[in-house]
Amino acid sequence: MTCAEAQELITALIDQELGQAERSSLEEHLSECSVCRLAFEEESALKQKIRETGQRINAPGHLRSRILSDPRIFPEKNRSPRRWQDYLRPMPTLLRPILAFALLLAIALPAFYFFKPRSEPIALAALEPYDRFLRGELPVHRTENTDEIVGQLTQAVGGHFHPMGYDLTAMKLRPVAGLVREINGRKILVAIYQGQGGTLFCYTFLGSEKDAPPSAARFFDAAKKMNFYAFSRGGVNAVLHREGDIICILASEMPMEELLALAKSKAKPS
Amino acid sequence: MVHLDLLYRVAFHLAKDQDQAQELVQETFVRALAAHHQFNPGTNLKAWLTKILHNLFFDRYQQNKRWISTDDPAAQESDDWKHRPAENPGPESQVLHKELSANVTAALKRIPEEFRAPILLVDMGDFSYAEAAEILSCPIGTIRSRLSRGRKLAQQYLAAYVGLKQKGSYSK
Repeated sequence: MTCAEAQELITALIDQELGQAERSSLEEHLSECSVCRLAFEEESALKQKIRETGQRINAPGHLRSRILSDPRIFPEKNRSPRRWQDYLRPMPTLLRPILAFALLLAIALPAFYFFKPRSEPIALAALEPYDRFLRGELPVHRTENTDEIVGQLTQAVGGHFHPMGYDLTAMKLRPVAGLVREINGRKILVAIYQGQGGTLFCYTFLGSEKDAPPSAARFFDAAKKMNFYAFSRGGVNAVLHREGDIICILASEMPMEELLALAKSKAKPS
Repeated sequence: MVHLDLLYRVAFHLAKDQDQAQELVQETFVRALAAHHQFNPGTNLKAWLTKILHNLFFDRYQQNKRWISTDDPAAQESDDWKHRPAENPGPESQVLHKELSANVTAALKRIPEEFRAPILLVDMGDFSYAEAAEILSCPIGTIRSRLSRGRKLAQQYLAAYVGLKQKGSYSK
């Protein structure tokens, strides 16, 4: 594949819109060409920034009220003190389904979305203890003994897998506690690091790259031939990667670029 | 209200104005109700509502601008984007993120609508190329090429602020 051909395909690779053959061919080219790899990484980073910008913009509260009080959408409102049933009887037959649809949009669907069982990706659900820990609401057994944390977490999953046990002293972070979470029947080991560098959670569990949230931005590291998935929840950034059948997520409030670089430096190719 | 935030997000970046964005979203729901019989339950409500919103935007704000040249999009905008400080405002990540979001929004504003819309749909709306093509009534290949071109423009505009280096040899 030439650089010109690669440049044509990079956008679609970032958006996960390439077929397997084109994807493999392009990834092979990226592993050999630093110029195209840089272009890929820059465009991936840009996509992530645009996504994060979008997530910061929500509809103002008064817009919802404005729509709900729009007489074209809810014609029964603010007309007269007649009983609500009176509006249905003289209403032209054509308008009834419109009213029904309006009510469905306004009430039934939000209720459906609100009450339906949460099918949140495990990687996003796993981030939930982070805020609780910072607020001191998460009971954890604190210890400064790294071996003790690793031992306890490994024992909690019957020795089937181990926490990553990263040494992050260069980041001025040291392990302070460990805990085990169970989400949808899957056990997740959480090693908590704290220090001058802030707070960082390292999650370890059995899984595959499909556990990355669909909205995550994928970064392909050509040197290690590994994928890294960046995503955020609240103010917490997270980067997921796979080592064999082990999924590792690093989560922190540090900037995404730094967290991504940290994950890439620590990850070991399967 | 279903997909309200997404619709507002897209409308805001299309219209570049909060009041127009709110009006667009409100009118989208009005049109959706009027055309509810055209919607097949079980199909993609998010894409259907977004298509209505985009058509509405085009009808109201773009039709008259169809013949305005977009040869030099950078020359069309001279808002406060150029006057923002280029230096990093500090180590606080929240401040940095807000600054970055403001710069991304400003950069998006400078991109012509035909390149901006696919970015909004794919990057902010999580739509697939096929869904974006349906919403914008154009071929999938056009979505891909406009995304590529639009992101290159965005990178150029953002380069001074977030350290993204311009890719001179591959810029079209």
